[in-house]
Amino acid sequence: MADNRKDTLRLLAQFSTVGMSVAFSIFIGVGIGYYLDHKVFDGRTSPWLTLIFLGFGVAAAFKNLYDMASRKDL
Amino acid sequence: MEHPILFISLILQSLGMPVPHGPVGDTLLAKLVSPHMTYTWLVMLFLIIVPKLTLGKMSLVPGKGQNFWEVVIGGLEGFMADNMGKEGARMMFPMLATFALYILVANMIGLMPGFMSPTSNLNITLACTLIVFFTTHILGIKFHGIGYIKHFLGPIPWLIPLMLPIELISHFARILSLSIRLFGNIMAKETLLGILFMLAGAYFAPLPILCLGVFVSIVQALVFLLLSILYFSAAMEHAH
Repeated sequence: MADNRKDTLRLLAQFSTVGMSVAFSIFIGVGIGYYLDHKVFDGRTSPWLTLIFLGFGVAAAFKNLYDMASRKDL
Repeated sequence: MEHPILFISLILQSLGMPVPHGPVGDTLLAKLVSPHMTYTWLVMLFLIIVPKLTLGKMSLVPGKGQNFWEVVIGGLEGFMADNMGKEGARMMFPMLATFALYILVANMIGLMPGFMSPTSNLNITLACTLIVFFTTHILGIKFHGIGYIKHFLGPIPWLIPLMLPIELISHFARILSLSIRLFGNIMAKETLLGILFMLAGAYFAPLPILCLGVFVSIVQALVFLLLSILYFSAAMEHAH
C-alpha cells in the first residue's frame, strides 16, 4: 500500500476511473456494433455484430479491471 | 437555465446580440455569444491579465506577486516531474499547466453569482479531452514510430484479433470518462447552487454547497491534470 499522500492521491484518481471505464467500454462496444449493423451493412447482419461488439466491450471492461487489480505497485 | 443572471449575457443582449436562451444557439453569431463561450473568454482574459498585473517586473529577489506565481508554477512542475519524469514534464509543461490553470479558474468562477463555469458545458470539456487524446497518440508515434502499434496488440500474437478491438474500445472509453467526469461534476455543482439560490438563498442554504464547490473544483482540475499526465506517460513508455 502506498504510504505517502501524493501516492494516495494518484491512486485515488486512477481507481476513480474504474467504474466509469467499465460502463463506457460496454456502451462504446454496443455503439460500434450498432453502427456497423445498421449504417454500414444496412441491417443485413443485424443483430450479430451488435452482440459480438457487446462481447468486445465487456471484455475491454474486464481487461481494465484485471489490469488495475494486477498492478505491481500496490 | 439554472443561471438567471449572467452579466456578460445581459450586457451583450442590451448591445443587441442574439444571446441564445438554451445552451447552444442556432447561427454562428449566436454560438459565439452563448454563455459558455463568453465566459471562456473571460477566463482567458483573467489568466492573461492577472499574472501580468501581479508579476510586475521580474526580479532576483521575488516580491509578493512573483512569489505566489513561482509557488504555483513550481508546484505544478514538481507534480508533473513526480509522475512523468523530468524531460517529459519539461516537454509537456506548457500544455498541461494551461489545462490545469484554465480548468481550475473555469471551475471556480461559477461559484460567484453572475458568473458561470464554462466547464459545465460538455462541448468545452470534450474539446479539452480531444486535445489530450490526440496529443497522447502523437506522442506515442513520436516516441516509438510505427512500433507504437504494439501498445494495442497485447503480449500474445495469436490473441491479436481479440486484443486490438479491446484496446481500441478502452482508448475511446478514456475520451468519454475524462470529459464526462469533469462536465458532470461541474454541471451538478452549478445546477445545485442555482436551485438552492432560488429556493432558500436568503437563508444561506447554498453555503455548504459553495464550500463543497471549492473542493470539487480543485479536485476535478487535479484529476484532469493527473489523468492526462498518466495517459501521456503510458504512451511514452515501452509496451509490455
